[in-house]
Amino acid sequence: MKSSAASFNWPLHAALVAALLFVIPLALLTGRSSAGPTFGFGGPDLAAAILFEIRLPRVLLGLLVGGTLGLCGAALQGLLRNPLAEPGLLGVSSGAAFGAVLVFYFGLAAAQSLLLPLGAVAGSLAALATLYALAGRRGDFLGIILAGIAINAFAAALTSLALNFAPSPYAALEILFWMLGSLADRSLAHVWLVLPLMIPGWAMIVLAARGLDALTLGEDTAQSLGFSPKTTQWLVIGGTALAVGAAVAVAGVVGFVGLVVPHLLRSAVGYHASRLLGPSFLAGAVLTLSADLAIRLMPSGPELKLGVVTALLGAPFFLRLVLRSRRGSLA
Amino acid sequence: MSLRMLLFQLSLLPIVAVGEPLPTVASINLCSDQLVLSVADPEQIRSVSWLAADAEESMLAEQARRYPLNYGSAEEILRFAPDVVIAGMYTSTFTRQLLRDLGYRVVDLAPENNIADIERNLRIVGAALQRADRAESLIRQMRATVAAFVASRHSEPVAAVAIRPGGFTVGAETLAEELMRLAGLRNVAAENGLDRWGSLSMETLLLSAPSLLIYTGYRRDERSLANLVLEHPALARLARKTATATVAAKYWSCGLPESLHSVELLKRAVSSRQ
Repeated sequence: MKSSAASFNWPLHAALVAALLFVIPLALLTGRSSAGPTFGFGGPDLAAAILFEIRLPRVLLGLLVGGTLGLCGAALQGLLRNPLAEPGLLGVSSGAAFGAVLVFYFGLAAAQSLLLPLGAVAGSLAALATLYALAGRRGDFLGIILAGIAINAFAAALTSLALNFAPSPYAALEILFWMLGSLADRSLAHVWLVLPLMIPGWAMIVLAARGLDALTLGEDTAQSLGFSPKTTQWLVIGGTALAVGAAVAVAGVVGFVGLVVPHLLRSAVGYHASRLLGPSFLAGAVLTLSADLAIRLMPSGPELKLGVVTALLGAPFFLRLVLRSRRGSLA
Repeated sequence: MSLRMLLFQLSLLPIVAVGEPLPTVASINLCSDQLVLSVADPEQIRSVSWLAADAEESMLAEQARRYPLNYGSAEEILRFAPDVVIAGMYTSTFTRQLLRDLGYRVVDLAPENNIADIERNLRIVGAALQRADRAESLIRQMRATVAAFVASRHSEPVAAVAIRPGGFTVGAETLAEELMRLAGLRNVAAENGLDRWGSLSMETLLLSAPSLLIYTGYRRDERSLANLVLEHPALARLARKTATATVAAKYWSCGLPESLHSVELLKRAVSSRQ
């Protein structure tokens, strides 16, 4: 994102933008009827509603959610200098999911559908507050990872507890489905809901970009270069909580994007944490939009869940990468 | 956005004005599908969900196959352009909200946890589809059947327990529980303090020594971990010396007048035991 002109990887950015420009019109053109995928917009009386009220929000949210997951994954992997870091690791996703499940559990989602995302945002902020309380004062990375794992496990346990006491088997099923992630039938209201949370979240991560580069040289060196590791750390974690909390709030838990996308791009940007951010945003959006398009292109049947397809598409790439890097290190 | 909404709604007006007097309907939930199939005039039904046509899930599968099926997405419903959309309270909140935003009348039905709930939902669907007469006549028939069950019920209730795949059972405050009581049974699981759809441990089950074991089969022929629970040796031993009955899960998963068929089945199992 913010990078000097000399180091800016034009071909990579151009390729990713081209991929986005290719997949967005396809996604807008592809719908789904009972018989399977359909192309076009139905009759002239339906076109406006189908295009603007059903498909456009879905594509916009795919872009925003996928971009957020890619960006935050790249930032967290840079911050923790751990290639296994991803937004789910900090407990932000599971906290958000638990917040949403609570709204379901008390039957509030039936009353007002916007309460569901608001519950998720409250859950992600609560997870972040707990993380800060547990690890904030010491502020070392290991402490953050351990606290994140603990919060993750705790939120997952609370979610299971809520499922156990769900008022009806149908409510339990709906909660389970929602936790696999989906973009089906979201509206523009959800786009307006996530933007005010995502934009400051992205901004915080962009502000931390130079600090992330300095951190690759070690915490002490970063400090001597004038970057406070602590500031960088809380910018990245706070930004992730805001942006990913908003993403989970509208799309449920979409796995794998935040983990796999930075890995796919790392070698192309020369291992600079800051140069990974922009491409990861774009590639995350491309992967998520493609997965959501694939869902609609399936032959007839109920829609698959987005989280299932991102994992199906992402896992083979990831495995190939792991195999290649192992061969490389052995050689 | 509001101008576009207005234009969209205006474009719907001619359809409503020219169309037949009864409102058209699409349903996107298995239980609401079956209520619609029971109450609506065939002319009214634009679409029901795909589960309604599955004989394993639906009491009215035969009837449902006559109509176009949907998978419950807003885009499909837009193409059917019904006057009313009927959904369950736990059908995707996103889909229901989007359809409301698009100007559709969406009716949400709470699950049927007892016979009174079935009557309530029949009335709601009847009112929404301008078929109140049909709903009331179904309710009258149902009440007559229930009264006959009550009149012919034995004075001493028989201890019974329902076993669902995965070790789950049927507790208090469920439709299944009320239907069991109508058949002259007392639900051992509910007496053990179980509410709604909890699980009953094998130990509690054996200790409660029921006189009737009710299997609520769901895809019994397909192998699954959940179905394996039903093959537990302790349960098999209990089943050898206890009367058993099998009620297809569809009779208890949604509430319909047809759910009362399970009462007859249970009554037969009880009388053949004695």
